[in-house]
Amino acid sequence: MIEYCTSPYSREESLDCLNPFIRKWFEGKYSELTPPQRYSFKLTKEGKNILITAPTGSGKTFSAFTGILSDLMDMSVEGKLEDKIYCVYVSPLRALNNDIYRNLSGPLEQIFSRIALPLKKVTVGIRTGDTPQKDRQRMLKKPPNILVTTPESLAIILNSPRFMENMMSLKYLIVDEIHELANNKRGVHLSLSVERLCDMVGRDFMRIGLGATLNPLDEAARFLVGHRDDGAERDCMIVDATWDKNMEFGVMCPVADIVNESDEKVENSIYKRINDVITENKTTLVFTNTRSGTERVVYNLVKRFKYGEESIAAHHGSLSREVRLGVEELLKKGKLRVAVSSTSLELGIDIGSIDNVIQIGSPKSVARAIQRFGRSGHSFKDTAKGEIIVTNRDDLVECSVMLDAAKKRHIDSFRVPRNALDVLAQHLVGMSQNKRWTVDEAYSLVRHAHPYHSLDKKDFMSLLEYLSGMFVGLESRRVYAKIWYDEKERAFGRRGKLTKLIYFMNIGTIPDEVAIDVMNRENKWIGSIEEEFLSRLKPGDVFALGGKIYRFEYAKVMKAYVSDAAGQVPTIPPWYSEQLPLTYELAVEIGKFREALSSAMQGRLKKSHAAKISKNTLMPDAKALGILDSMPIDKNAKSSIFHYFAEQLLFAKHVPNDRLVLVERSRDDERTLVIFHSLYGRRVNDALSRIFAITLGDESNSDVAVNVNDNGFILAVPLSKKLSGRDIDRMVRSALEADMEHTLKSNIRRTEMLRRRFRYNAARSFMILRNYKGKKISVRKQQINSQLIFKAAEEINPNFPIIKETYREIFEDVMDLPRAKGIMDGLKSGSIKYKVIETDVPSPFSHMLVTMGESDVIMMKDRRKHIRELRRQVLSRIRKGA
Amino acid sequence: MRIFEGVEALDGLPVLHIRDLNALACSDLHLGYEGRMADRGAFLPKVNLRHIKDILRRANEKAHADVIIINGDVKNEFSTVHTDELNEFIELAGFLAKDLGISKIIVVKGNHDNFINRMTWREGIEVHEQEFLADGFLFFHGEKLPRSHAETMVMGHLHPAITVYDDVGAREKLRCFLSGSTAGGSRLVVLPAISYFAEGVSVNLEGVSGIAPIFKRHADIDKMKALCIGEGETLGFGSVGELKGIEN
Repeated sequence: MIEYCTSPYSREESLDCLNPFIRKWFEGKYSELTPPQRYSFKLTKEGKNILITAPTGSGKTFSAFTGILSDLMDMSVEGKLEDKIYCVYVSPLRALNNDIYRNLSGPLEQIFSRIALPLKKVTVGIRTGDTPQKDRQRMLKKPPNILVTTPESLAIILNSPRFMENMMSLKYLIVDEIHELANNKRGVHLSLSVERLCDMVGRDFMRIGLGATLNPLDEAARFLVGHRDDGAERDCMIVDATWDKNMEFGVMCPVADIVNESDEKVENSIYKRINDVITENKTTLVFTNTRSGTERVVYNLVKRFKYGEESIAAHHGSLSREVRLGVEELLKKGKLRVAVSSTSLELGIDIGSIDNVIQIGSPKSVARAIQRFGRSGHSFKDTAKGEIIVTNRDDLVECSVMLDAAKKRHIDSFRVPRNALDVLAQHLVGMSQNKRWTVDEAYSLVRHAHPYHSLDKKDFMSLLEYLSGMFVGLESRRVYAKIWYDEKERAFGRRGKLTKLIYFMNIGTIPDEVAIDVMNRENKWIGSIEEEFLSRLKPGDVFALGGKIYRFEYAKVMKAYVSDAAGQVPTIPPWYSEQLPLTYELAVEIGKFREALSSAMQGRLKKSHAAKISKNTLMPDAKALGILDSMPIDKNAKSSIFHYFAEQLLFAKHVPNDRLVLVERSRDDERTLVIFHSLYGRRVNDALSRIFAITLGDESNSDVAVNVNDNGFILAVPLSKKLSGRDIDRMVRSALEADMEHTLKSNIRRTEMLRRRFRYNAARSFMILRNYKGKKISVRKQQINSQLIFKAAEEINPNFPIIKETYREIFEDVMDLPRAKGIMDGLKSGSIKYKVIETDVPSPFSHMLVTMGESDVIMMKDRRKHIRELRRQVLSRIRKGA
Repeated sequence: MRIFEGVEALDGLPVLHIRDLNALACSDLHLGYEGRMADRGAFLPKVNLRHIKDILRRANEKAHADVIIINGDVKNEFSTVHTDELNEFIELAGFLAKDLGISKIIVVKGNHDNFINRMTWREGIEVHEQEFLADGFLFFHGEKLPRSHAETMVMGHLHPAITVYDDVGAREKLRCFLSGSTAGGSRLVVLPAISYFAEGVSVNLEGVSGIAPIFKRHADIDKMKALCIGEGETLGFGSVGELKGIEN
């Protein structure tokens, strides 16, 4: 059963749980218990599984370790402590592992230095991908009592029989940064490792999960503890200390009229504000949403305010490890005035004391906002302080609603990826190396892990078939098969001498990044871009690279050819592929806010107000003001939001909301636009936009260009395709009748997204290896024809597990098909209304979408028609050119 | 689609029918590709041979030829004969003879076809070192200039394709035949690759004279017409030069 702990134990009750030596050390060092510790000491003593969520500085790590150290100390006193591993600590970050190792070794040193008795010392060791071979060897001979490691190293340990001998007395498992694991394949991979570990040890051990807040907590607890043989979830106690730290936060709008003010003024004001905050505080942490944004902010602060190298630093994933470690060290010592980061500093690495956090632009989720703010105010008694500086009108509304939700403690939800077949394939190879399994025994073990609890037996069997090479003829299986599998005996096990090495060398879930070389017309290398960025480029697009502007000409396998476009305005923003999607819950909250504010304003606005609105001088009436005043936002923000809504209302008479999708037919110079104001987040809109685009493409016999963002999507067809409001209404109704999954599948088959995801999945499933026979295989080689490989696999078996996983990942992890279906059902039943309107120029609420959406093209379903149409267009262009 | 008098590109297939020789012509099979990739750590499903058999079956349902000319790159591996290459070639040869009633297989050696003689001992298979000349037709693979001349020259090796973008930016790569003439006045056809895994070289975007020396001086790539393989039909897309010239 999963239970919430709501009444903390007293100080005495908690401390009484500790071994006297540990208690003495603890009381000597800390004057009081932090909120999570007032639960955890007692619960650890009782041997309960625990999930603890709390912000930085809450003594979270020691809330987990103190009880364990106490137990190990007891064992030492009783002479029962041996050179065995009793506790495994897993975190996704090597940097964090190093911190933990230091933070344990130090106190242990202190504790034992004060004990006169000849007690056996409690030891701690670290094993990650960085650990040298000789240290690993030493660890085999003399294992540490506490092992600090990563998910990947843990999976390797499971297949190192000699190392596993030292694990048989395991009592505790700590999983740190659980919020960084529970929602992705890396965490799914870990969950299987943990169940394999449990199976090999032959009994349950105590599990402690640590993390920043996430919702729903019971789902996170299930992810941690998994299920028993009988299918019931294991017990877990949840300690939620997220809100025990005081927080002050708000939205700061840089100008009074963010809708109409010039970009330059907005930018000047943003940097002035950042500088003010830095000046008023000792250390400030600035978060941007992208790596390029981080670089830009540092560059601007240095240029504008003459910060020297000793007082400002950037920290993000593209920087080398040494640079990042250096920055962390400076922060710890309190030497920096300001650090700017994309995501890398939001995790639990020790960075010393931060006074204030600034977030530039929307962090896209309430949980992330809270977590980032929580980096400030080092001790749990300090107040965390943070503000979001918004950069545009939609950002403003989004962040205002976000922080309003944070104030009400509404956290958006996460999802554990379910039944990921690629990750399971890896583990099945690992398991087969350990021993001979019966199918049922292995299937039952896999289902202990929460992400696989609902795994279909058929899918499990299809993996065994795939791994045993049944997709090629008998004569080739010697090379293809990774496991031995006997269908009659329903058993599988080890096969091939190379397989163990394949497992060790290709383990893990993080795909190799693909850098696309950018070349100029003379075939000279200019720089590199991410593959995802390339997939969004179409010829003629203008983008910035390394401070210069280029026009994209064409792509060839792994190269992008460009020409010089100095002086032109980029058509593709540089952060494209890095942008995080807005969470669905928050999107719906924004929709509700739109509804509330617009109905408060509706009927009171008059045409005659237009002049005042454009001058930003219309005064909100009491009702509207009441709504805005209740939110944690500044004066500029209130005024900007009010005028933004007023503009939309006067122009279009409607403000779309969570129950009203506005479908706006409009145009630009070359194209007819159908703008869907569907504020449900990009993951939902990605699915919705494809369905509508496919329908529109069918009905207008045209490929359809699509622009998507969190707030909606635009479908564009050439102006020559005339579309009336009635045509659009018909298109919407026919899209509502479509079989979404089927229609999307046939569309996605031909996209770059599928190609890329399939390649990642093929690598994770050991179909296309990254390392083989001691050679690293370049991504470049892997890249060759991944779409053809997909099609080839599909021809052999449309339900090939890697294909199935690719669709699952796209539908569930990339898009949000279940919720998109919910929206379509709502539109069908009328619980969500839609209204078609016609405008000459796009309405105010669509401006950000028009200029900054992610673009893609949905090709016609009928390939024969598509090629003919393509030919018609090409020949007509040739005639025009002649 | 008729390319020249007596030379037809079979609709929607990368195969020529040459009436006077009563022959099919295709190029660049790259048999054994998957097996070779598996040795390098990419365990691809085996589809190439199946795919080639399917194409040739469809081709001969229309053409009823009794000869096939494979214009080079039957196999994939340069340095040896891979078991899979041998097995697949034997299977293909058997299929051509038994299922399609083709009595003669003429192989023009390509640059990948080293040691091919170890595979072609079967009756009814002829291997030609550099090129094959018959009744005014010259078949040569294309990595080198041909030594002979003929009224009609047929080449492979290049894997020609074109990449075009439609009005809203969708990218499409289509395999194609190239047809035109040489500086010496011969008719010239370049065959697309029949191999499943050969995506092709975009002749309207990339330089080709390094790959196919005939386009250095002896023929003008820009004047070649691109005849693309569509769905069940072959469609003319204009000349390579015209395709290069349009604003994509």
